[in-house]
Amino acid sequence: MASQLATVSAFVEGAPPGELADVIADIKALTIESPNLVSQLGPAFEKYNEEQFATVKLPGSSQHVIVSSHNSLGDGSYYDVESSSSFVFDHRTQKASAVQSYVLESSHIDLVKSLLKSVGAHVKEYYPSASCGIYPIEDDSKIAILVVANKYSPNNFWNGRWRSLYIFDPSSSSLKGSIKVDVHYYEDGNVRLLTTKPVSLSVSSASASAIVRGIATAEKKYQEELNKGFNNLSEGAFKGLRRQLPITRQKIEWDKIAGYRLGQDIGGGSSKR
Amino acid sequence: MAEVDPFDSALDLLRRLDPKHTSTHLNSLISLVPSLTEDLLSSVDQPLTIARCRKTGRDYLLCDYNRDGDSYRSPWSGEFETPAGGSGPGGVDDQGNNEGAGEGAVPSLLVRQMEIRANEAFDVYRELYYEGGVSSVYFWNLDDGFAGVVLLKKVATPSGKSEGAWDSIHVFEAVDRARTAHYKLTSTVILHLSTGSDNLGEMELSGNMTRQIESDLPVEDDASHIANIGKLVEDMELKMRNLLQEVYFGKAKDVVGDLRSIAPLTEANKDKATHQEMINSMKR
Repeated sequence: MASQLATVSAFVEGAPPGELADVIADIKALTIESPNLVSQLGPAFEKYNEEQFATVKLPGSSQHVIVSSHNSLGDGSYYDVESSSSFVFDHRTQKASAVQSYVLESSHIDLVKSLLKSVGAHVKEYYPSASCGIYPIEDDSKIAILVVANKYSPNNFWNGRWRSLYIFDPSSSSLKGSIKVDVHYYEDGNVRLLTTKPVSLSVSSASASAIVRGIATAEKKYQEELNKGFNNLSEGAFKGLRRQLPITRQKIEWDKIAGYRLGQDIGGGSSKR
Repeated sequence: MAEVDPFDSALDLLRRLDPKHTSTHLNSLISLVPSLTEDLLSSVDQPLTIARCRKTGRDYLLCDYNRDGDSYRSPWSGEFETPAGGSGPGGVDDQGNNEGAGEGAVPSLLVRQMEIRANEAFDVYRELYYEGGVSSVYFWNLDDGFAGVVLLKKVATPSGKSEGAWDSIHVFEAVDRARTAHYKLTSTVILHLSTGSDNLGEMELSGNMTRQIESDLPVEDDASHIANIGKLVEDMELKMRNLLQEVYFGKAKDVVGDLRSIAPLTEANKDKATHQEMINSMKR
């Protein structure tokens, strides 16, 4: 049997967009007899925030910056390229503090800066509210490009998140990554859309504009595929499960249901033996 | 601060975590807070399991309402498979409690007669609306009437990478009054859909929705009970099917569009402004 800590950690990991605080409140109420449990959830919160590209407003700034494994400085510290600062992130409360000046050193600093500009422009053009981050990773050999868009509407019982991650490899001019969409709707129910799309493409040159062109094309193509996916599920699997009305296009005459029985030879399930 | 009822917290958590794995979350919650086991099992709907009746060879559905320990009552034979014995007729215990059947509840002879006819009726309903799948109806006695559950399940024949499963769970109470009965219906539909391809990647739409209605309907005889319940379930399923369609393919898609716009926002905003200008000029 899984340990209690593993059980509640899995709950944290499954928190829908914008609902971490609600999930934590539920866990607290459920583990009131073992209060130590919640205090041990630090690693689960960290994993959740880094995987979900949590965003945070730095004190004194209006910009949201991303928290991820790609811009981690260790010990709960992260850096932001645009504002040239580092900060300490509290994974439990999702608040930032101890902002300090941080100057990024990288052999790709020019590309990082121009990507920041052009990805930023791309994000502004297609996402009503999103944050992006560009970070050199893997010993300065590659560049991680992150985009996260959140839209929370808890008063209307829905929340959503779009995450894009692209790893640019300058040695091969290739982009590899994934797009993930997570939508939660929970008015008198619990409905969840979860998607994952691996992305892999090569770009014509190692320039910021070529990279952003590749990203823009891939994202547009994906969003169109996703809309087709909704249509296909609606017209295919959904319709195949239950008809809106019987083939007669009339509701059942329940007073005559016994008569249906006699005439019923429409094949299929009822007499499967 | 008022103390939060852990049961409410458990339900809130289940309303938030991925509904595709409700059964896993339920088991986790039970291992975490064993005292909630009974309440959670009787109030959280899970996808239904199919079994085959040994006596008639027909498929039937398992749920908490036809369960007695590890054995389940088949609606077609009326008998418990691997009988662990069913106690108290009508599912009424020593204290006169009859909330939910389960624990070996067996309807009285009269109610069983109605249960047989309801199973036949909903078998027809199932064929007309689902063109396949499995249905089961279980009744149990109440002090002032009876109660029951109508279950329907259909798993889509896989085509390509698309999958789908529909589970309907309709729990009702019918309380007898003079020439009418008061019906209270609580319906849950669990709907799972998924698809995938190289271009799309993986796409999953899963969830459950619950709705309730109450209604007073005329009753002449036992047959009218079945017709009344039939109509209530039929109307409810139509309503819920439309609702699911709206949420799964309307709302969810809209939220994706709210997160990211296919058309450039400056263009979309320009279009909006032009549109507004036109409306304004027509108003003049």
